[in-house]
Amino acid sequence: MPANDKIRRSWLLVPVSQPDRITAAPNSSADVVILDLVEFVAESDKPAAREMVADSLASVQAGGAEVFVQIEPDLMLADLRAAVWPGLNGIVVSRAETAQQIAEIDTVISSLESERGLLPGSVEIVASLETAPGNHAGFEIATASPRVWGLTLGRADLIMDLRPEPSGEIHLMQYLMQRLVTIAAAAGKTPLGAWWRHPDRGLLATPDNTRAAAQRGRAIGFKGSFCVLDNQVGPLNQGFTPSESEVAAARSIQQIYADATESGTLAAVTHEDRFLTADIVRQYTNVLDLADACATRDMFKAAAVEGRPVPVP
Amino acid sequence: MTILVRRSNLVIPATQSRMVRWAWNLGADAIILDLQDGMPPSELETARDSLKPAVSMVAKGGAEVFVRVNAHSVYADAAAAMCADLTGIVVPGPESAADIAEADSILNELERHAGVARGSAEIFPSIETAAGVWRIREIITASPRIRQVIIDEAELAASLGIVQGSDPDPFVYARGRLCIEATAAGVQPIAVADPTGLGIANLGHDDLVQTATDARNLGFKGMVCSHPAWVNPVNEAHTPAESLVDYYTQVREVFAQALAAGTAAAPFAGRMIDVPVDEWAKDVLAMSAACAARDAEKQAASEMARVWQDTFGLA
Amino acid sequence: MPDHPRRLKRSGLTMPVVTERFINNAWHRGCDFINMDLEDSVPPNLKDVARNLIKESIPVVNKGGADAVCRINHDLMEADLNAVVWPGLMMVNYPKAEHAHEIRRMDEIITRLEAERGIRPGTIEIGANIETEVGVTNAYDIVSASPRIREFGGASGYDMSRDLGVEMFVQFDQFVYGKGEVELTARALGVTPHATPFTPNLTGSVSDPDRAFAEADAARRCGFRIGGGLHPNVVEPQNRGFTPTDDEVADAHWVIQQYRQLSHTGDTWLQTQDASGQPRVVDRYEAARAEELLQWRAACEERDREKNEAIARVRAAEASA
Repeated sequence: MPANDKIRRSWLLVPVSQPDRITAAPNSSADVVILDLVEFVAESDKPAAREMVADSLASVQAGGAEVFVQIEPDLMLADLRAAVWPGLNGIVVSRAETAQQIAEIDTVISSLESERGLLPGSVEIVASLETAPGNHAGFEIATASPRVWGLTLGRADLIMDLRPEPSGEIHLMQYLMQRLVTIAAAAGKTPLGAWWRHPDRGLLATPDNTRAAAQRGRAIGFKGSFCVLDNQVGPLNQGFTPSESEVAAARSIQQIYADATESGTLAAVTHEDRFLTADIVRQYTNVLDLADACATRDMFKAAAVEGRPVPVP
Repeated sequence: MTILVRRSNLVIPATQSRMVRWAWNLGADAIILDLQDGMPPSELETARDSLKPAVSMVAKGGAEVFVRVNAHSVYADAAAAMCADLTGIVVPGPESAADIAEADSILNELERHAGVARGSAEIFPSIETAAGVWRIREIITASPRIRQVIIDEAELAASLGIVQGSDPDPFVYARGRLCIEATAAGVQPIAVADPTGLGIANLGHDDLVQTATDARNLGFKGMVCSHPAWVNPVNEAHTPAESLVDYYTQVREVFAQALAAGTAAAPFAGRMIDVPVDEWAKDVLAMSAACAARDAEKQAASEMARVWQDTFGLA
Repeated sequence: MPDHPRRLKRSGLTMPVVTERFINNAWHRGCDFINMDLEDSVPPNLKDVARNLIKESIPVVNKGGADAVCRINHDLMEADLNAVVWPGLMMVNYPKAEHAHEIRRMDEIITRLEAERGIRPGTIEIGANIETEVGVTNAYDIVSASPRIREFGGASGYDMSRDLGVEMFVQFDQFVYGKGEVELTARALGVTPHATPFTPNLTGSVSDPDRAFAEADAARRCGFRIGGGLHPNVVEPQNRGFTPTDDEVADAHWVIQQYRQLSHTGDTWLQTQDASGQPRVVDRYEAARAEELLQWRAACEERDREKNEAIARVRAAEASA
């Protein structure tokens, strides 16, 4: 059964080099803010951007968000030194390609944790499988370090140059997404992503398309997704939270099953001409558990925005 | 190579004595007696006590019989099922070769005790988790007892934290992987007859046949049916249609004549018949013959069962 | 410069090498390649005759500038290779590839024959066709087995359907998994993926030029470059469909110019409108795609000139003879 201890539906990528985006981030209602050092920072601005990470860590969490920093393997040492400070929840490794890379990053994080007074093992990793070799080695990457919490395809559509088919689906993505969900679940990790379609290019989509992509993503097993625009955060939170009607349907199925099992044998409980078996009912129990966990997460964020003291979830 | 015809695999809860008495008459190629998860211990005990007679009972119409054991009581459940009429056990939720090896050694021991030929009981793995999907190859090649394999999509959905549905379909990858890996290993991939988990309330016969045909066109060789209404449509969809058999019979004749006349390509009904088409025709006709033989076998067994019933009033 | 320039494979005709009329007429069709078949279209009793026709047929199909390809038989691989590896051959297609050791064996034989027959080492490509489930499960090992594999695809079509026991020409894509495995393998190992977007072909038509163009056009838009077919009608539509259009060339220049404007801003992307008023994002990925499109278009034009000149040369020689 999927763990709901960490509700991370919306992951907003914010370029560290842009102070106005940093200032705006706490109001975005994102579950996670990713301070980006890779995709949205111009090459020449990277040294200065690294200097700004430490101060930004605390400020972007004012809205109750967790904070990750996105780094790239080629610049791993400089990026990690800039990022691993108290308050950091995790690292997004862009273009992850080998288990070896993850092991090396793990080692550097461990020494920075002990040097800088972070709890050992507290910094998590999300591996972004954006290249073909990275996807090929996905399971090995997922199991390369206990720090790996999640897997995502990141910007694979752009980096692998995957384009829309006449159907509007992005070529190869259905296969890659479902493969990623399988690998992540097999390794006990969390799959992240949304089912984008043309013209939702490179995580850029209208709010409506974002919500639809999140709903499709949740239907195949994703638990949250990256985005790059502030107005995509709300739709991601919504799309990855069970709707009221889903919750109502789940409650009713659970009730039918509970009544029937109380009154007799559980072998032949039917609902709309279908045997309600334990596994089917479990699907709906999961919906209710997720809805509860999302509500708790939202309460925490609301309290943080209002400046009320709240217990750490 | 003989073709294993196991189109419809009908699931019957082992505790439902009325359904157990009735199931042989439904035309299923195989029947799975289900010792369901989550039964209270007393109920499970009762079910085990009546399992061997139930196996023989559902076999009366010529169906092969499987018992679905519980993951946490494989030994006790399999021991209760082991008899000459048992075809095999459904092993739920294997995630590695080791899980299969364990079931394999249990069956070795039970076969010895029961005086049944070693290796005769099949293992029918029912994949329930992503780990099982990912390690499918090592699972299905772990024992020669494995002749067919299924992904239990309801369990898989629950383990992934999703609700089964068709738009979008969450299991395109998993099903494709099952079909390719199983076929490559010489194991038959079996589909779930209720892939969207929506039940059959609003589906007519043609819808059921179409759903089963779509599964066959992904490479599945049969289906597990959770409701008796699936059996006939599934058998129909997995049996070459008469018109197809006629067509390919003519194809073989045309090609044989062409060969006799010294060429390996001849036009027929707007199409060029050559070696690959003839090979395809052979496959279809062999499948058709195997299905007919299996149906005749079941019919003979059913007639015999009815004679016994009419003559001696045996249920 | 790579040792072996990538050859274009937008269009190609597959034909039985034993049918003299096909072989003799193929050269002026304008194909990028011509695939002389020893496999399915050649009956068993003609296999020996067929393989011995390849050597003399290579220059015939080369006349109009097309590259010569030969599809051999899976079960007659060694005998076929001995007969077909001659100067002028670009590629050997190996059907129903299932195991890496098959490819390693082919590589050894071809390497020896290249040395014996004065062919520059490494010239001859291996096309490993995935047409069975076992082939899909071993795809990564197969492509890893030889650097002669420079394109890779398959896992659909007639043989795959027969092996899997499915009908062809249904409404939905039956091969998502197998094609995905094969394409991911190609991309992971850096060889050109031979793939297309899915479009249902319910009729099985192989000679419809409109359908051929639509498929090639969709494949090009999706980033793919390899075609091929069975009927002369599809050659020109494929050449056209796989070549970027004038509008796309203009758009590529526009993207590159927009991208240059970004370089001083500190931003990594900009949102704007293109010539047709559509909202567009320009970033390094779009710029890279635009550069590649221009290179591909230039390569297509060069290839078309090469073929046209060759055809004209042959015709002139024939006229004066």
